[in-house]
Amino acid sequence: MSRFLARRLSFCAVLIVVAASSALLLTRLAPGDLTTGLGPLASARDVSDARARFGLDRPVVVQWAAWAASAVRLDFGESFRYQQPVGPLVLAAAGNTAILALAALAVATIAGIGLGILTGSRRGAIPALIRALSLAALSLPPLLTSLAMLFVAARTGWFPVGGMSSIDASLPGRWSDLAAHLPLPVLALALPVAATFERLQSAALGEQIHQPFVAAAAARGVPPVSLVLRHAWPVSVKSVAAIYGLAAGSLLSGSFAVESVTGWPGLGRLMYEALQARDIYLVAGCAAVGAALVSLGMLLGDVLLALSDPRVRDVA
Amino acid sequence: MSIRPRVPFAGVLVSLVIVAAGFLFWRSTTPRQAASSQAALSRGGQLTAGIRSDPKSFNSLVATDESSNIVSSLIQARLVRINRATAELEPWLAEKWEMAPDGRQFTLHLRPGVTWSDGTPLTSADVLFTLRAARDASVQSSLADGLVAGGQSISASAPDERTVVLSFAGPSGLGLRVLDALPILPRHKLEASLANGTLRTTWRTTTAPGDIVGAGPFVLSSYQPGQRVVLARNPRYWRKAADGSALPYLDRVVLEVVPEQNAGMLRLQAGSLDMLQNEVRPEDYVAARKAEQQGSLKVIELGVGTDADAFWFCLKPEVKTKDPKFAFVQRREFRQALSQVVDREEFARTVYFDEAVPIWGPITPGNRAWFTPNLPRYPPDLAKAKALLSGIGLEDRNGDGVVETAAGTEARFTVITQRGISSYERGTTLLKERAALIGVVLDIAPLEGGAMIDRLQTSNYDAIYMRPLLSDLDPAGNMDFWLSSGQSHFWNLAQKAPATEWERQIDMLMTQQASTIDLARRHEIFNSVQKIFAENLPVLYFAAPRLFYAHSTRVVGVVPSVLRPPVLWNADSLGVSAPPRAN
Repeated sequence: MSRFLARRLSFCAVLIVVAASSALLLTRLAPGDLTTGLGPLASARDVSDARARFGLDRPVVVQWAAWAASAVRLDFGESFRYQQPVGPLVLAAAGNTAILALAALAVATIAGIGLGILTGSRRGAIPALIRALSLAALSLPPLLTSLAMLFVAARTGWFPVGGMSSIDASLPGRWSDLAAHLPLPVLALALPVAATFERLQSAALGEQIHQPFVAAAAARGVPPVSLVLRHAWPVSVKSVAAIYGLAAGSLLSGSFAVESVTGWPGLGRLMYEALQARDIYLVAGCAAVGAALVSLGMLLGDVLLALSDPRVRDVA
Repeated sequence: MSIRPRVPFAGVLVSLVIVAAGFLFWRSTTPRQAASSQAALSRGGQLTAGIRSDPKSFNSLVATDESSNIVSSLIQARLVRINRATAELEPWLAEKWEMAPDGRQFTLHLRPGVTWSDGTPLTSADVLFTLRAARDASVQSSLADGLVAGGQSISASAPDERTVVLSFAGPSGLGLRVLDALPILPRHKLEASLANGTLRTTWRTTTAPGDIVGAGPFVLSSYQPGQRVVLARNPRYWRKAADGSALPYLDRVVLEVVPEQNAGMLRLQAGSLDMLQNEVRPEDYVAARKAEQQGSLKVIELGVGTDADAFWFCLKPEVKTKDPKFAFVQRREFRQALSQVVDREEFARTVYFDEAVPIWGPITPGNRAWFTPNLPRYPPDLAKAKALLSGIGLEDRNGDGVVETAAGTEARFTVITQRGISSYERGTTLLKERAALIGVVLDIAPLEGGAMIDRLQTSNYDAIYMRPLLSDLDPAGNMDFWLSSGQSHFWNLAQKAPATEWERQIDMLMTQQASTIDLARRHEIFNSVQKIFAENLPVLYFAAPRLFYAHSTRVVGVVPSVLRPPVLWNADSLGVSAPPRAN
């Protein structure tokens, strides 16, 4: 297991370096640069000053080498958009995204697997309705889901209309205030993931229920609920575990659509703003942290898969 | 064997839950009437406005983005201010001024008793410091370019604590209007930073709010990145209301960062925002009017916008000489033919849903001081447009519907525009359809904003459709647009010498206009400039949109302006009538 973990961690390190460097190089090579943010009316002096300040007047390889040398000392440069160091900006946004992603992952896991067990083990109107709702949730783009959730919040006042905190949230009530702001973005993020889990869990469980070992247990007089939960489900869960890491990683790396619409100051929104502004070092910083979080999610998925299927552990 | 137990009542239970949820939703979405649509101004309270992005910096010399400018206008003050509603210059920190007869010197008198938000007196030394800081090379402030008259920087001196003398190298048509963009900064807080060359990085958004000092109506209270800027009432603010009471009326202004425009509109309708940063988009107009009928919003017409969507070809000879199309694109008859083919009334109806007025040049009726209706016009006339093309050798010789030269060069162009802006999409589509009627093919290529500006700055394009924003209502404030050497002379940027005779004429007239003090003479000269422009059509304009703004009915004291920010420019005189809905 330790060799398995070491190998996965090495892969994570490589992924982070490649993602951040590629982001920097692609942003540099794409048409336009951060000075386009100064607008078409910017003076030639302003443009040349900004280009010099951010190293855009140097060859791309020289710029990358200088950035990489600083990055190994955890100095990721300065953001043009925010006029402050990239490191603290990205870490703050990643922390906010992590709160959102973990809550969404918890909701998606509980709802998706729970409903998957229900639809995989039963027939009738309710499972059919759940399956239909899952398909609908899977086909809705996050932007639309977020706007729909925002619309409901705006019209009903059931929960806050966007943002991450209230203006006057005092320290003792800070966590409850945060919790009150979570439902809107969490549901928007969790719905498609929960639907994916439900579909996979349902299909896998439906298959396992017809296996001979389940029939044998039933013949021994094991009650139906135990048959599902203690015999069929543990075998079926590995299909969910196989994509769990990817889902966790994509949630942790931030969703610009959900974060922009719901006003959540997370990594996805920061990355989008950085890309729009061609904020080269901020893009690279976001890509590095995003890659680290995707790696973390995939590592989590691999560990879960290894725990659910001993053969994976043995191969590792 | 069956392991699928039936649950006979579950379906009924789920149905009941759905019906109950639907009922609750219907009950809670019944339109709420505002407490009072005829609200009276009261003291105190909080106003919450949406901004599209975080401010870049709290240093007004460095950050020029819209959000930073809004924050700056709330926490800082200028010597003089352009009233956004009347476009007139009005006293601000300077209570009065005198101009020397030759128009080269202004003596400004500061208001007595004005203090910074930390209690330190504001003096002429602060004004001199601000001018010095804005021009300091280490600060790299874009405001320095505006502090120029007669080709040289404005020099300043201070005979005493309340008097500042500004000397211009030559007479300036703009006069003191150049000072509207310059917030006066506290010398006692920033002098050390200027001395050690770190002023550019001082007052970043990470600075403790208490360290940021201003003479504006509000002070920075807190900033939560990605969420909001909170500004509290400046108890030492110098300005009084007409009845002598202290301003501002509001206790607090909250600027919520709402990057997504649809989300912003929903939050405005829900009452969690009192106003947005900008005017209502055409696609939101119906929703805003509906909310107005329900009593939650008030929709006001700001007037005709001062900027309009424009279309132009790249006319830079250095880049285009090898392009065989340049031979006819540079002919004004070609551009006149395109202007002749577009029905401006139809354009206003289609692109702006009838909320626009036809225009024939860059100065719209929204700029009341400088607009002239007496310009050459090109009413829709297909026959005349075809004749103009034929006159420069462009005819459909092979019957494929596209005009070409005798050498076979087709009139086919790629028009780049910014992706995701609905008025650009509608405008380019209409333009493409109309141009096709005279055999000119326009292929539309929407690009991401940064990529489009890059193409513009490098002159790497056939044609562009976008809305260039002129920085000042006074033409002398937009010399970069009018002069052939200007960085904003879009169709042929930064020429070393005027490429055409008519550009040489405009250069001469604009230079004369900018250095003339007599307003009537300035108008006369600028009307001539507009006429030359409309005859040669380097840029084609079709319609200027009427602008609408929506704000909560609880906001009172609103004086709308077509200039940005449309309402917050007058923040010290705004009030609210009821508490906002909790966020």
